[in-house]
Amino acid sequence: MAIKIYGSAMATCTQRVLVTAKQLGVPVEVVGVDFAAKEHKSAEYLKKHPFGQIPYLDDDGFILFESRAIARYLSAAHGDGKLVPKGVKENALFEQAISIENNDFDPHASKLVAERIFGPLFRGTVPDETVASQKQTELEAKLDAYEVILGKYKYLGGNELTLADLFHLPYGTKATLQLKPGAPALNLEDPKRPNVARWWEEISSLPAWKEVQAEEQVAVAAIKKA
Amino acid sequence: MVMKLYGTILATCFQRVLVVAKYLDLEVEVVVVDYENGEHKSPEHLKKQPFGQVPYLEDDGFVLFESRAIARYLSAKYAGGKLIPKGVRENAIFEQAACIEQADFDPYVSVLAHERVYGPLMYSSVPDEKLASAQQAKLEAKLDAYETILAKYRYLGGDDLTLADLFHLPYGAVAASPYQPGSPFMNLEDPKRPNVARWWKDITSLPAWKAVRSEFEGVVSTFKKS
Repeated sequence: MAIKIYGSAMATCTQRVLVTAKQLGVPVEVVGVDFAAKEHKSAEYLKKHPFGQIPYLDDDGFILFESRAIARYLSAAHGDGKLVPKGVKENALFEQAISIENNDFDPHASKLVAERIFGPLFRGTVPDETVASQKQTELEAKLDAYEVILGKYKYLGGNELTLADLFHLPYGTKATLQLKPGAPALNLEDPKRPNVARWWEEISSLPAWKEVQAEEQVAVAAIKKA
Repeated sequence: MVMKLYGTILATCFQRVLVVAKYLDLEVEVVVVDYENGEHKSPEHLKKQPFGQVPYLEDDGFVLFESRAIARYLSAKYAGGKLIPKGVRENAIFEQAACIEQADFDPYVSVLAHERVYGPLMYSSVPDEKLASAQQAKLEAKLDAYETILAKYRYLGGDDLTLADLFHLPYGAVAASPYQPGSPFMNLEDPKRPNVARWWKDITSLPAWKAVRSEFEGVVSTFKKS
């Protein structure tokens, strides 16, 4: 039975799971959740995901939520543990990178994206650039530390690609998006941080990520037609 | 050579490592970092922790930061993986709980802790109760979901105690205690959520936690006197 991911190809946390699945070569089936109709807050849905969020996984009856936990599970249960280092020190540096993404990247990137992208797209708001540039400044300060780490290692968690790198892709990519030409956006390939630029260029070029973005475009086009 | 943990007992992230070390019966030497005088932003500190934060661990030359990564390392390297389930599904439920702590608990309790306790304690600020109550309302909604999970399992990550439970203790305990008698606080033993109350009583009664908490309270009382 196919592994089902309940969510949306356009949603960042669902994309975090999808890019991992594709990189691991694990086939998954996306089951759409009707966000507009608040399906994720229905009594039925809350039985599976008590926080009323997307995505969640249903693997032959085994239910799991939280995108980063789902990604780890896909690796362990279906991906031979790939993208998660095994040696004690290597695993520690990987876990350090996982925590860095969660604490130093995600909070700032997600607020930045909410202001500049999701607000305009989904709520018709105008970005408050005071808020957005504040978040960008905070994020850029963190990226100075990334620059140091990526001067030592090829990837954030060591010299091999790991889940920690992939986890940055959804919000990172949205943070670099410009809804209109010339709109302010984060530049993750800024030459003043050459190591970050090198790392970002590499992970954002992964075929698995390109595929996720292509599927997002298909989903977006379908909505525009409807 | 004894492991060195750089930081201060006042810091919740430092306490997160310490409670795990004590629970696992591991000896660590505390090296105090002079937070008040900005030592954590010094060039020496930044060489070890490029984000300028505490804590970091030094284990015979191996440097690691991010409290949750350090905790995982201590378990893997010195305690045979205790507090981290090994079975694939059990491990997935644990990782789900670890994510829940970071996404659904930490962002809210940290604001409560800083606004109502650390602010007054360290900066003589007056709590913004409008902000704090808004965060508390959000946290309470999350705790309704915790209530569901903790009805199914004894702990957040399954029927055994895991790191995910311990990770809640530092900020949770600060947010759950009134700064002064009569001050507003988040009641994690609220009888309207009996499963959360049961769980919180259980984990705050752990000897390892009591030891960390009493050390913290000792230092806090010297702050309050001065």
